Amino acid sequence: METGSRRKFLGICLGGVLAGAGGGLLYTIFGYLAPRRDSNIRRAVSFPATDVPAGAAKFFEYNGKTAVLIRQKNGTVVALSAVCTHLGCIVQWQKDKEEFLCPCHGGRFSSTGLVLGGPPPKPLESIPIATANGTITVG
Amino acid sequence: MNLVKRIYNWVDIRVGTGELVEKELTGYLLPVNINVWFSMGSILLFIFAMQVVTGMLLLVYYVPDADKAFKSVSFIMNDVPFGWLVRMCHAVGSNMMVLMLLFHMLSVLFMGSYKSPREMNWLSGFILFNLAMGISLTGYLLPWSQLSFWATTVATNSVGSVPVVGPYLVEFLRGGKLVGPPTLGRFFALHVAVIPALIAALIGAHLFFLQRTGVSTPPFGLMDTTNRWQNDRYRYESHPGGIPFFPHYALQDLTSIAVYCALFLGVAFFDPYIFFPSTAFIPANPFQTPAHIKPEWYFLPNYQTLKLFPSEFLGIAVQVAAMTFLALLPFIDRGKEKHPLKRPLFMVCAVGGIIIYIALMVWGHYS
Repeated sequence: METGSRRKFLGICLGGVLAGAGGGLLYTIFGYLAPRRDSNIRRAVSFPATDVPAGAAKFFEYNGKTAVLIRQKNGTVVALSAVCTHLGCIVQWQKDKEEFLCPCHGGRFSSTGLVLGGPPPKPLESIPIATANGTITVG
Repeated sequence: MNLVKRIYNWVDIRVGTGELVEKELTGYLLPVNINVWFSMGSILLFIFAMQVVTGMLLLVYYVPDADKAFKSVSFIMNDVPFGWLVRMCHAVGSNMMVLMLLFHMLSVLFMGSYKSPREMNWLSGFILFNLAMGISLTGYLLPWSQLSFWATTVATNSVGSVPVVGPYLVEFLRGGKLVGPPTLGRFFALHVAVIPALIAALIGAHLFFLQRTGVSTPPFGLMDTTNRWQNDRYRYESHPGGIPFFPHYALQDLTSIAVYCALFLGVAFFDPYIFFPSTAFIPANPFQTPAHIKPEWYFLPNYQTLKLFPSEFLGIAVQVAAMTFLALLPFIDRGKEKHPLKRPLFMVCAVGGIIIYIALMVWGHYS
């Protein structure tokens, strides 16, 4: 009986050690595979204001995602995420219509990012900008 | 005694080759009414072997680096002697593998071979089908073309509809917020190591289950077409007086593989670009999504289903439900009858399902 309970105790201990080792191994593998943190740091991006003439759009990378800077015909500069909120394709700027079109499933967004039509469930994410001394700073 | 015979005897004494050949080949009897559809598994084994060999050859020149991948594939296609053939065989072979898997599944469905005691055969086969889809998806990104890049963007984005953890899962899968160099590294590792190892293991399990339960009797040409298996103890389904696997059915397997090769090489030589839209020949540009991007033909039903539902979560949930139903079919359909014409409910569901699948595929292609 004593031998049996000792065996059971040792068995539980061994199970615990193996479970701990398994957990440690899984944590290590997860840590190895998890996306790198430094790619997620928000960094401000600056452009000369002349890079974005009226009605034009400039695509760039911001915060690990594709973003777009546009200058509306009335001169207002807007920065938006260029990632379609439907399935993640990059929207295209329709200069003549002053709206964005997603080529994947035909989603349409206004120049301020609002959904005009198609399957996108949410507007394009807006990014804060600041303009000073002929430089546009995004983020 | 000549040298070959002496070598044979030497090996036979040590591992019992003769007994093994008798048990697994010449003495391995198959049902007398066995048909050509039973050779689909052999064709699939042949395709898997071809994919492994051509994949190894491609690895000699392919560079899994976002800046070099497209160039290395172009180099294989244009500069390496017979590189075009190796790559075409690999690309066409992956499509053929999915096609043959569908035929294999359909034959098993219509002949009721998934019924007891073959639930584990069905489940292992179902997992193999999903792994084949996974290996095709991961391989699709490797050429780093506009097609690969954006098809992968859309496919990985679908995971984001999983409640709560969805956005993190997408990032984990991609190795970043968007598809990029880390995604290529991950997909390359999955495509050349992880998934092939899993497929090899699952093929082993699938064949083991087949060997242990025996080949199922097709329901055609018999008076009694019901499943006579009794759920009390393990029984091997033997076929006394049946057809020997070797050389009789092995010859049928070879014939089927030869017919498949004719079809496969016909596509590879005469219409190799059938599976390559023009965006497959443009290097990936993360800032520009090409118009009318479409996934591979076998993902078109999933793509179209996603478009049909107003919520992406609902679109994914419907597909998960359909796949779960298919996976658990042997546990849901407990009827004894195996003949498709004596199973009207099954026929309506199966034919209806096939029509919906093809309709969604065609709709997805032209939408």
